[in-house]
Amino acid sequence: MGSMQHDYVLKKLNKTFCEVFDNDDIVLTDNITAADIEEWDSLANVRLLVQIEMDFNINFSSTEIADLQNVGELVDLVISRI
Amino acid sequence: MSAADTELNWEKLKLAGMLTNDYFKYLKLCKKRRKTLSSLDIKRRKKIKLAILGSANTDFIPEPLEFSLDSHGIECEILNTPFNTYAYQMLAPDSLVGNFKPDVVLVVNAPFSQPEWPDIRLSGAELESMLQRTAEYWLNLCNTLHANTGCEIIFDNFIQLPWKPNGNLAPKLDFDLNNYISHLNFKIAQAAPSFLHIHDVAWMAAHHGVSKWFDLKYWHHAKLPVSLNYLIYYIKNAAAIISSLYGGMKKVLVLDLDNTLWGGVIGDDGLDGIEVGQGTPAGEAFLSFQKYIRQLKDRGILLAVCSKNDEVNAKLPFEQHPEMYLKLDDFVCFIANWEPKPNNLLIMASKLNLGIDSFVFVDDSPAERDLMRTQLSDVVTIELNNDPASYPALIDEHSPFELTSLSNEDMERTNQYKENFNRESLLTTVSNYDDYLVSLEQHATILPFEEGRLDRITQLINKTNQFNLTTSRKNRTEVEAIMQDDKYFSAYVQLSDKFGNHGIISVIFGTWTDDALVIDGWLMSCRTLKRGVEKMTCNYLVEQVKINSRKHVIGTYIPTGRNTMVENLYSDLGFELLETSKTCVTKWALDIDLYTIAEHPITIKD
Repeated sequence: MGSMQHDYVLKKLNKTFCEVFDNDDIVLTDNITAADIEEWDSLANVRLLVQIEMDFNINFSSTEIADLQNVGELVDLVISRI
Repeated sequence: MSAADTELNWEKLKLAGMLTNDYFKYLKLCKKRRKTLSSLDIKRRKKIKLAILGSANTDFIPEPLEFSLDSHGIECEILNTPFNTYAYQMLAPDSLVGNFKPDVVLVVNAPFSQPEWPDIRLSGAELESMLQRTAEYWLNLCNTLHANTGCEIIFDNFIQLPWKPNGNLAPKLDFDLNNYISHLNFKIAQAAPSFLHIHDVAWMAAHHGVSKWFDLKYWHHAKLPVSLNYLIYYIKNAAAIISSLYGGMKKVLVLDLDNTLWGGVIGDDGLDGIEVGQGTPAGEAFLSFQKYIRQLKDRGILLAVCSKNDEVNAKLPFEQHPEMYLKLDDFVCFIANWEPKPNNLLIMASKLNLGIDSFVFVDDSPAERDLMRTQLSDVVTIELNNDPASYPALIDEHSPFELTSLSNEDMERTNQYKENFNRESLLTTVSNYDDYLVSLEQHATILPFEEGRLDRITQLINKTNQFNLTTSRKNRTEVEAIMQDDKYFSAYVQLSDKFGNHGIISVIFGTWTDDALVIDGWLMSCRTLKRGVEKMTCNYLVEQVKINSRKHVIGTYIPTGRNTMVENLYSDLGFELLETSKTCVTKWALDIDLYTIAEHPITIKD
């Protein structure tokens, strides 16, 4: 936590979130969950995952995407794959 | 904003939508459309109520489908229904869909949606009856829905499963699930009543690759029937069927010739030089494209030619090239001239008595496509790349010729129209071709011959037939001599526009006399005709004559049978006719003091 890589991924994810949710005011922190962002419904969630897979050129597995609890875990998952 | 501005914006959005199949890019266009909807002047020919239901998650479909249908001129009110409530929606008269009274229902399916599946222990007869039951299950749902609401139904057929437990023995096994799915698709299509339109998703998935089209992870996660990366293909295809239900099917395919139906330029390369037929990869690709086009014609699509060529040259391959698959007989009209193509399409439309919105335009030149889109936005202009092997798929992708039924009349159509068409007055003109030329943002350099350019200059001198005043051929050494000796004049023109650099496209060379410049050769590539290059060049000649303290420019036109397009060039530029020889060679003179600088849309760079 708090590493340069962590900050880098968080920043890049922040951009993806803003684009997918069409909302430039989103400021991501590790503790944010789907409940905190109004537009984060199941449809947006799929868009988000697909866009992240494209942006980082990675592939999540079925179990990984089911287990995510908050943004911090998402960042760690992305880092484990790049 | 003026009306013209807003309309332009929708045309731009629509074009951007046509040119992308990227889900996220398409979604951005959808958002733009939604945010500016009140100011967009969308031309709509029909308003419908559309219900979406299915055995998969359909939440991703309405937004892009609405955009795609708007591109076809169809406004829709969409009802989306909850996941997997399809049976209820289709059977109950008072369901959401029943009450909505839709005009069209889209039934979205995933391969896993079957009510029952075969099993290795079943006998052949049991398998056959299961297949029959399952087909009837879907057909009955559709029949009941239609009986309740009178709607047309677009029904996704079933794609193959992305796995293969029986290995390569599968095709021989009746109980194999993929075999079963193939048979089921066939049975449903065979028994489908006229209101039931099969959406051939199985073909699209096979075309793109089943495991890419259908991502199991996102099926398990969100019941997505199509992976987001391929969703736009699905959407556009569904929209094309709906559009064709309301008369949106295009009727005429207008084809360019050079580098569209064959490789090369007939006017320059000649009958032996063009590529079509067996022997070279490009020749074979053009041949397959012609076979594809012929299949369109056989089912009722009218074919037309619109080419920048002399008519005699343009017809030559059809009449004399042994490997041409398409014949002149296949076309209802054939226009080869040097007029702007939108003018020619308008003429075709009035001659055939068809709306310009029933035309599809296929041309390898980006500039011609851009002109067509700018001037006639109702024409579907297919985006091509530079690979003839991909032309059929690129036309398919836009499904302009989607049809929901086929009659005997369709197959007779070409003859019927050919009788009605005759080629007369070419008077109709698009008024703002000049504006278009300005929008091309053309830049040119014009310089004396120089080392490093001589190969291309020599090539042009020896290859160009149509825009060539004297057809005076020169070898590399002769060209070099012109460059080095002061008694000669020489110039070459390079042109670029917003689509890219055309390189060296025109060459002029001549001899200085005491009081004049005598033009011995003047030629230009066909790619850049009617762009103002000749006017720009003439201004340059006059300027050079002034600088060199001479008084006249003398020009000659030697007819060859292939260069009739420039027989009036000198007269058009203000030259006076001096003499006409017995062999029809004409000689011309221009007094530079009487010359008015010609206006043209090209910016000259130093």
